Amino acid sequence: MKKTLKLKIFASFMLLIAMLAVAGTISIVEFRWLSKSVHGLIQDNYKSIEASKTMIEALEREDSGILLLLLGEWEEGREILNSADSLFLSAFETANNNLTEKNEVDYIKKIESAYQTYKSSWERPIVDTDKQGNISWYKDDIHKKFAETKFVVNELMSLNQSSMYQETSDLKDRSKRAIMPGIVSIIAALVFSLILNFFITRYFVNPISELAEAVNNYRDGDNKLRSNITSDDEIKKLELAISGLLQRIDNNNNTIRK
Amino acid sequence: MKKEIVIKHLGFVLLLNGVFLFISFLISFFLQETSTLALLFSSLICGIFGIFPLIFVERTEHISFSEGLTIVVFGWIVTCIVGMLPYLMWGGEFTLANAWFESVSGFTTTGSTILNEIESLPKGLLFWRSATHWIGGIGIILFVLLILPQSKGQRITIYNTEISSLSKMNFRFKARKIVQILAIVYISLTLLETISLMLLGMSFFDAINHSFATIATGGFSTKNLSIASFNNIGIEIIIMIFMILSGIHFGLIYGTIMLKKENLFRSSLAKTFVFVMFLGIVLVSLKLYLSGNYDFWTSVRYASFQVISLGTTTGFATEDTAHWPIFTQIILIYFTIQCAMTGSTSGGLKFDRVYIFFKLIGKQIKLLKHPRGVFVVKFDENKIDEKLEQQTLVFIVLYITVFFITTMILTSMNIDGMTAFSASIATIGNVGPGFEKVSSLGNFALIPDLGKYVLSVNMLLGRLEIFNILALIMIKK
Repeated sequence: MKKTLKLKIFASFMLLIAMLAVAGTISIVEFRWLSKSVHGLIQDNYKSIEASKTMIEALEREDSGILLLLLGEWEEGREILNSADSLFLSAFETANNNLTEKNEVDYIKKIESAYQTYKSSWERPIVDTDKQGNISWYKDDIHKKFAETKFVVNELMSLNQSSMYQETSDLKDRSKRAIMPGIVSIIAALVFSLILNFFITRYFVNPISELAEAVNNYRDGDNKLRSNITSDDEIKKLELAISGLLQRIDNNNNTIRK
Repeated sequence: MKKEIVIKHLGFVLLLNGVFLFISFLISFFLQETSTLALLFSSLICGIFGIFPLIFVERTEHISFSEGLTIVVFGWIVTCIVGMLPYLMWGGEFTLANAWFESVSGFTTTGSTILNEIESLPKGLLFWRSATHWIGGIGIILFVLLILPQSKGQRITIYNTEISSLSKMNFRFKARKIVQILAIVYISLTLLETISLMLLGMSFFDAINHSFATIATGGFSTKNLSIASFNNIGIEIIIMIFMILSGIHFGLIYGTIMLKKENLFRSSLAKTFVFVMFLGIVLVSLKLYLSGNYDFWTSVRYASFQVISLGTTTGFATEDTAHWPIFTQIILIYFTIQCAMTGSTSGGLKFDRVYIFFKLIGKQIKLLKHPRGVFVVKFDENKIDEKLEQQTLVFIVLYITVFFITTMILTSMNIDGMTAFSASIATIGNVGPGFEKVSSLGNFALIPDLGKYVLSVNMLLGRLEIFNILALIMIKK
């Protein structure tokens, strides 16, 4: 294919456009992923962490309620236990509906089972029974079950916290990946422009200057248009056209002289 | 100097890199890895900058010496710059200094790494890392010479700059034939090693990556613990065999296979190279055994691997040499300085120069006895003329000067003496691991950024041979 000036300029700009277009597309893809990840981070892990915190708070309130029952404060103790129980169940429901991590379902099952065992211990009457004021029963049975339930809830929270930490460092990497094509493209475009400028000077400007100088030399007395254009493009065509024109003028002058 | 010719040939270099980057991209793409876009964009950049000069620059018939030299030196620099793009764009442990260091280390077949967690890298990026070894091993410019569809004159000018005069000694062919022989031996060895490693239970991915690193005498592994991670004596033996073959002049390997006069069994140089290595193995094994480090066969196993690995400038490891007795470390440092034979894929000082140096000592002793005598230094039926004698001596002095200066710079950054010294030698010799903080199973992550740039210059000087860089600067002036 004949490489004309038009084709050379067109091809150069197409290459530049292709590079910038791909860089732009990559950045857009990465930024979209980034925005999804930020949303996911809040949706997936933060919700479960908050639910775990609420469950722990509910468990501690239940523990206080049990202590009140042990002291014989039936009304106040049961009121605290009932409200803490509904708070725990509502937080548990949130965590159960937000299973996003691998094996998270196993943690939920563990919490459910531990809580059922714990609840069954304080659901039955305490006030006016042999359990009232029985510190050994509290220490050996109730507190042990409370600690076990709290431990599995903490495990669920740790799972989501470590996943959140991992996601955050991934986000840092992804944000870098989203920015890098832009930075590389800017540098590459600068280098590209410098090389393009060199080629334009070398292959367009210099031959035109050379041609102009050859025409000037002809005007000043050279008997032939002397230029050294080796390319096969529009500038060569221009040189041939000027050469033909001068040849024709020469021929006309010779005819007139004759 | 015609800049457009230089730019056009640098474009060919970029296109070649682009092909390997594209293969790495395909691996990442099919495995749906995080490095997919970084590799795609890097290959696109190489493609664009490779094609761009072809639009403008017409066919050229002649390349001058200074143009050839500029193409070779800048070819390596440009390659290292584009080589770091996928690392830099992917992120992780790769800061600008780390990405540059890893890229230079790959292309110069040094094999020093800054990575703590190699196995966490995506497979596409791991492949690119090994591919940089393979491209750099044969010399990026020779690759271009193979594909260059242009005139003979052009080929010879670049070839003369890329291949040292010492390397040509064992070749009795024309330039084009030599380039073809190098490529045939290089590709055949790579395929043979890949198949052998797969037969011993290595996965195809690990086998091809380790073959790239072995044949190029590089040393990048896909595992954090290098070859130690496989704990397979069969794999170690195969890698040792191919490390030795890669450290020997390719012309001699070709000559042996083709039953030619210039073959491995007739070359005193090759025989001495193997003998010196054998001596090193014996000394290190005995010291390890007598010091009570390991039982006898384990001492032989580890000593063989480490001596061959450092003696051929590969840099793989099966054991951390940082805890070995100092006597064994000194022997290993000697092999790090000596490097492998010319005409192989190794860089650094080269065994041939050390051999000539010792021959010259003999000549000087004879001259003391017979001051008017005429003595000719010879190896493998090649007469070493006075010009080459001088060049060898000047090269050795320059080499020592460079690693001495680098050691001083590193120690000024509060790096301990052994780390600084061994890192300098290991990088200028394109070997890879050193001792102390940069030991065989360690890495260069702890070196400050400025130190990494200094060591990168070392690696390039070792690969390009110091004379080429000096010649370029002097010709420019």
